[in-house]
Amino acid sequence: MFKFIKQYAEKVDHIAVYPMISLLIFFLFFVVLLVYVKKMDKKSITALSNIPFTDKEESTITNQ
Amino acid sequence: MQVEKFYYDNRIVKNFAYATILWGAVGMLVGLWIALQLVFPSMNITQYGSFGRLRPLHTNAVIFAFVGNGIFMGVYYSLQRLCKARMFSDLVSKIHFWGWQLIIVAAAITLPIGLTQGAEYAELIWPIDLAITVIWVIFGWNMFGTIIKRREKHLYVAIWFYIATFITVAVLHLVRSGELPYTWLKSYSFYAGVQDALVQWWYGHNAVAFFLTTPYLGLMYYFMPKAANRPVYSYRLSIIHFWALIFLYIWAGPHHLLYTALPNWAQSLGVVFSVMLIFPSWGGMINGLLTLRGAWDRVRDDVILKFMVVAVTAYGMATFEGPMLSLKNVSAIAHYTDWIVAHVHVGALGWNGMLTFGIIYWLIPRIFSTNLYSKKLANNHFWLGTLGIVFYAVPMYWAGFTQSSMWKQFTESGQLKYTFLETVTYLKPFFFMRSIGGTLYLLGACLMIYNIYKTVKTGKLVADEAAEAAPLVKEETKHAGEHWHRWIERKPVQMMLLSLVVILIGGIIEIVPTFMIKSNVPTISSVKPYTPLELHGRDIYVREGCYVCHSQMIRPFRSETERYGEYSKAGEFVYDRPFQWGSKRAGPDLAREGTGNLKKSHGWHFRHFREPSSMSEGSIMPAYPFLMEQDIDTSETGAKIRAMQTLGVPYEKGYDKIANSELMNQATVIAEVLKYDSIRISPNKEVIAVIAYMQRLGKDISKNKK
Repeated sequence: MFKFIKQYAEKVDHIAVYPMISLLIFFLFFVVLLVYVKKMDKKSITALSNIPFTDKEESTITNQ
Repeated sequence: MQVEKFYYDNRIVKNFAYATILWGAVGMLVGLWIALQLVFPSMNITQYGSFGRLRPLHTNAVIFAFVGNGIFMGVYYSLQRLCKARMFSDLVSKIHFWGWQLIIVAAAITLPIGLTQGAEYAELIWPIDLAITVIWVIFGWNMFGTIIKRREKHLYVAIWFYIATFITVAVLHLVRSGELPYTWLKSYSFYAGVQDALVQWWYGHNAVAFFLTTPYLGLMYYFMPKAANRPVYSYRLSIIHFWALIFLYIWAGPHHLLYTALPNWAQSLGVVFSVMLIFPSWGGMINGLLTLRGAWDRVRDDVILKFMVVAVTAYGMATFEGPMLSLKNVSAIAHYTDWIVAHVHVGALGWNGMLTFGIIYWLIPRIFSTNLYSKKLANNHFWLGTLGIVFYAVPMYWAGFTQSSMWKQFTESGQLKYTFLETVTYLKPFFFMRSIGGTLYLLGACLMIYNIYKTVKTGKLVADEAAEAAPLVKEETKHAGEHWHRWIERKPVQMMLLSLVVILIGGIIEIVPTFMIKSNVPTISSVKPYTPLELHGRDIYVREGCYVCHSQMIRPFRSETERYGEYSKAGEFVYDRPFQWGSKRAGPDLAREGTGNLKKSHGWHFRHFREPSSMSEGSIMPAYPFLMEQDIDTSETGAKIRAMQTLGVPYEKGYDKIANSELMNQATVIAEVLKYDSIRISPNKEVIAVIAYMQRLGKDISKNKK
């Protein structure tokens, strides 16, 4: 049924390598990312996530 | 260390906030108007107010004017505070602001007068494309200037999202705007047919990703913790969220083209990455919602948190639905129907709209140093908005399922059960109910306008808000043992380059092979370039935005081949600049309109354009009487032909000189035939060109068979 598509794809040189490259890049990228995130120390995490709160805001404006 | 005193620029934030509110109201109003046009076609008033021209105005207004200004409002507020620095330059901020508003005004003028490139969300003509490029660079310049003179060492996660947004939108815009101008206002796309389609949906999908999503996630990571008064739930998760999201998003575009003539491998790639996208998207949603851990009781009383919770929930729903819609079997049902319309509105009304409203209610009182005028009104706005989304989405989902199943039903004897027109007229009540949802949502926005107006009246703008912070000590080298990401977090330019690399991987792997295929798209020998008259007709088809309701892409399903004829082949579109496959069928597919049992007489087309309901009772198509009055602009014929030749269309040398006489010959024949139908019309009228184009559609392939 999909001959009309396959016939073009088959003519691209080494087409099979594309999905493999994609998978590898994707996989390596995430392994590195996960390892990094795991290794971050708690203190710096807390400091980073508090950046929005480090400016002095003596506001009395309430949301409620 | 000596602390430095400096001032935040709140005036620019205020300006962008006002622009957000103004264009939001305009975009919603146009949306409501065109929703009603689908129920009452008589609301298509003059050519400047017809559905095909107003629908791009609606989408552009909402995406680039409402959300665009919303992005800048939030970025200019949060970036200064996260960097502990005033914006780089007040003048650059001003140029950015007024430049962007001018672009919007230019869009609001050009789209209704029919100046368009005919590609969804990239309709704006080439001079405006140029202006967008300039203003976008100015925005980036201002942003990086601010980041570089910052007093905070580390870049908070929100800023990463802003940086990725800046660089990716730049890449998307440049690639999509590849066009060859042939007059001061008009151009043809560099890409044709299948390639144009792939570039378009790579762009279109990532406009959703990097204009409607990543900048708003940045805003979420700043304003949600601020509103909840507690840091984000997991900073670790936000790092994974960021990199995973920008890495995966860029690949997903081809899911807009499932079952089309796009090569299968590209479709599959789009599907796989779309499904994977659910993980970073939900990671982000969970991170947003869990920021409220231990503060859920406050959501009951705090209207700003209510807006934000609905926004993030809508983001979660839309990003669950997106991957599901990308599955081929689901796409087979949903594509071309109102299901997609429902899906995008959950995103636009829910995620973008509600988050914008929450931020406006949070930020305006602060920069005006006062309290919100009425919490009660804001609460009413919240409920009107939320109910508006429900009343909008439910009828559209219903309409989508209904439409799709009606298209696909056969009688026992194997005939299609419903004509296309029956499926349209059946949906009118749903379209009407949808407009009630839209009205509620707009009413809510009106309450906000009043509330903000009163708030501003009671306060006074703190144009320059005093702040102080210690200056940043220059550290050129990274500490021993410090992790690379901490290093990257301090280096905005490296951050931008790394983001660029990450998004280019997906783009390149997807797009490059499709351009290699160029030589492999089988040239179907019977597919010939358009005649000059047909080319004019096609350009009028593009001008009128016919593609917003009519597809030209028959998928390989029995229900489609029975209704429209043979499924579409890649080789049929090699002369289509821009491609006009469409994305929604409010009207039938037109890929084979000029052939087989779909073929109609010239006279039928003429009468149908003049008054569609006279030929198809109950039709919701706008009438096009002005096509019978306006002359074909033959002064452009030569330039059109020459531009096409430059792009590789095989017109013979010197054809531009004789094109107009050939055009007249063909037009005269059509006008003569119309006489038999008792229609007297001069051959130089636009309707003749459009009829010629209609009769050409699909004809090349049918010639092949004999």
